[in-house]
Amino acid sequence: MVNVLVDMLVTGLPLVPVFLGIYTVFRVRADFDLTVEGSFVTGGAACALALLHGWPGWLSLISGLAAGAACGLVTSALHLLLRIPVLLAGLIMSIGLFSVNLYVMGTPTLSLGTADTLFSRFSSLSYVQAGLATAAVMGGIVAVVLVAFALFLRTEVGLALRATGVNARMARSQGVNDRWLTVLSLAVANGLAGVGAAMTVQYQGYADVNMGTGTFVAGVGAVLLGELLTRPSGSKIIRIVACVLAGTLAYQLVLTSALRIGLPAGDLKGVTALTLVVAIAAERYLGVLGDSARRLRQAAQVRVPRTGQETA
Amino acid sequence: MMLALEHVDLVYNAGRADEVVALRDLCLELDRGEFVTIVGTNGAGKSSLIQAIAGSARPTRGRVRLDGRDITRLPDYRRADQVARVFDDPRAGTAPELSIEDNLALAMSRGRRRGLRFALTGARRAVMRDRVAGLGLGLEHRLRDPVGLLSAGQRQSLTMIMAALAAPSVLLLDEHLAALDPGTSATVLELTRSVARELGCTAVMVTHNMDNALATGSRLLVMSRGRVIADLSGERKAQMTVQGLIDAITGAGDSLSDRSALAEAGNN
Repeated sequence: MVNVLVDMLVTGLPLVPVFLGIYTVFRVRADFDLTVEGSFVTGGAACALALLHGWPGWLSLISGLAAGAACGLVTSALHLLLRIPVLLAGLIMSIGLFSVNLYVMGTPTLSLGTADTLFSRFSSLSYVQAGLATAAVMGGIVAVVLVAFALFLRTEVGLALRATGVNARMARSQGVNDRWLTVLSLAVANGLAGVGAAMTVQYQGYADVNMGTGTFVAGVGAVLLGELLTRPSGSKIIRIVACVLAGTLAYQLVLTSALRIGLPAGDLKGVTALTLVVAIAAERYLGVLGDSARRLRQAAQVRVPRTGQETA
Repeated sequence: MMLALEHVDLVYNAGRADEVVALRDLCLELDRGEFVTIVGTNGAGKSSLIQAIAGSARPTRGRVRLDGRDITRLPDYRRADQVARVFDDPRAGTAPELSIEDNLALAMSRGRRRGLRFALTGARRAVMRDRVAGLGLGLEHRLRDPVGLLSAGQRQSLTMIMAALAAPSVLLLDEHLAALDPGTSATVLELTRSVARELGCTAVMVTHNMDNALATGSRLLVMSRGRVIADLSGERKAQMTVQGLIDAITGAGDSLSDRSALAEAGNN
């Protein structure tokens, strides 16, 4: 049991920034960006190369971030210059990046060997202890990312970003340049994917050219799971980051449990798909229940009008 | 003269079988502080005129000038600081998922560079409460509620407050009373008058309600087929009747839309 939880943390925490990026495009912007399937690998490859050149672990995280963000910039350039939907631009990128990543890595699987990572000093500890120490470092990085993201959403730019996803016409009429926000959101989302990939690579000790496959679907599944748990909305920012954190860990718990009960690794894609279906079904079904509960609450509020509500 | 349209053509799908000429050699000059109402049938070009001024549609020919500056090619979001707009659909002017205070904060940043300052501050909330309290709807106690919970009239009133927040020099009202019931419509119209008066801005109000068109503002334009066919102000506007307006519109060869006819029937 402890092993399952440790596995969940060390494999799940690196995905939190990745899925936060997916949430940014999928929910905040109400769009689909498949670039992440390729930018995740690009970020991981950039991190692996940095480590192999002797860069310290934290600087390699930054290189993952920069590489991912660069992919997002190319996607937004395709979207804006060729006037194609983000979905199509991202699809093109996810396919094209495979070759780019292979060329950058020089080999399908790039091992870190004995390079110093953020987690290599824990290798002498026992499995559970090493896992917990790794999870603590990852948790620190994830906390910084989540807090920074939540604060960003509260800024004027962050508010404009949230508005464009809900009502783009209204945002423009309030002076918001949504083309620039498209660029920003794609760069941020793929930069976050790069950070997550960099953590994954440092933990598992290698970068693989196929490690990004299925990331988008997994992220959407995790977001849907998280939404069941925290019910986030445009102005409830703490719930947004809580949704991504809880959804990612819940999703990863399903996967690691599946592995621990002896399912072969090849079944994981099927488990991911099933998780997605269950999350969507639950969203539909529980959503109806939630709505009627909300209506009941509202009806109660009408009868007993609230007076002098605090606005601290 | 502060807002001027010079020989503006606006053509959709130019050169194709489904070509639509929305505005045709339109010339118009509006003075500062003028409140102009516009009537006309569907397809007369009223909304296209609003869009050409707002910048969400770019004229195929001609110039749009604001205070002498050529803004023809300036996109809508870059003239939003000077040109505020209230849409016909109450859902269009606000973001339903976001709270009332977030919507207001978005409007407060209009016309200045959005940076990494916090969108909501104590000082801003104080201004919001003050403005919203003036509506008398009790919204000042509900700043954190999502706008989606508000009624159409409340949302349109909120949009009006948002339009006024950044002190625009032009206020565009595109059939903004059309979706409201008669009582709410009167309230929002009164709010419109007071906002326009306080701002001292040029207001352009498109309406299908002939009574409102006659009773509101200092100038009345009748549009037909992309042109202004009647321009009434002062004594001529004061003496105009609903029947006279309808004659002017139908005399131009247009049949009255159902919406106008219904609005008319409702008022008689």
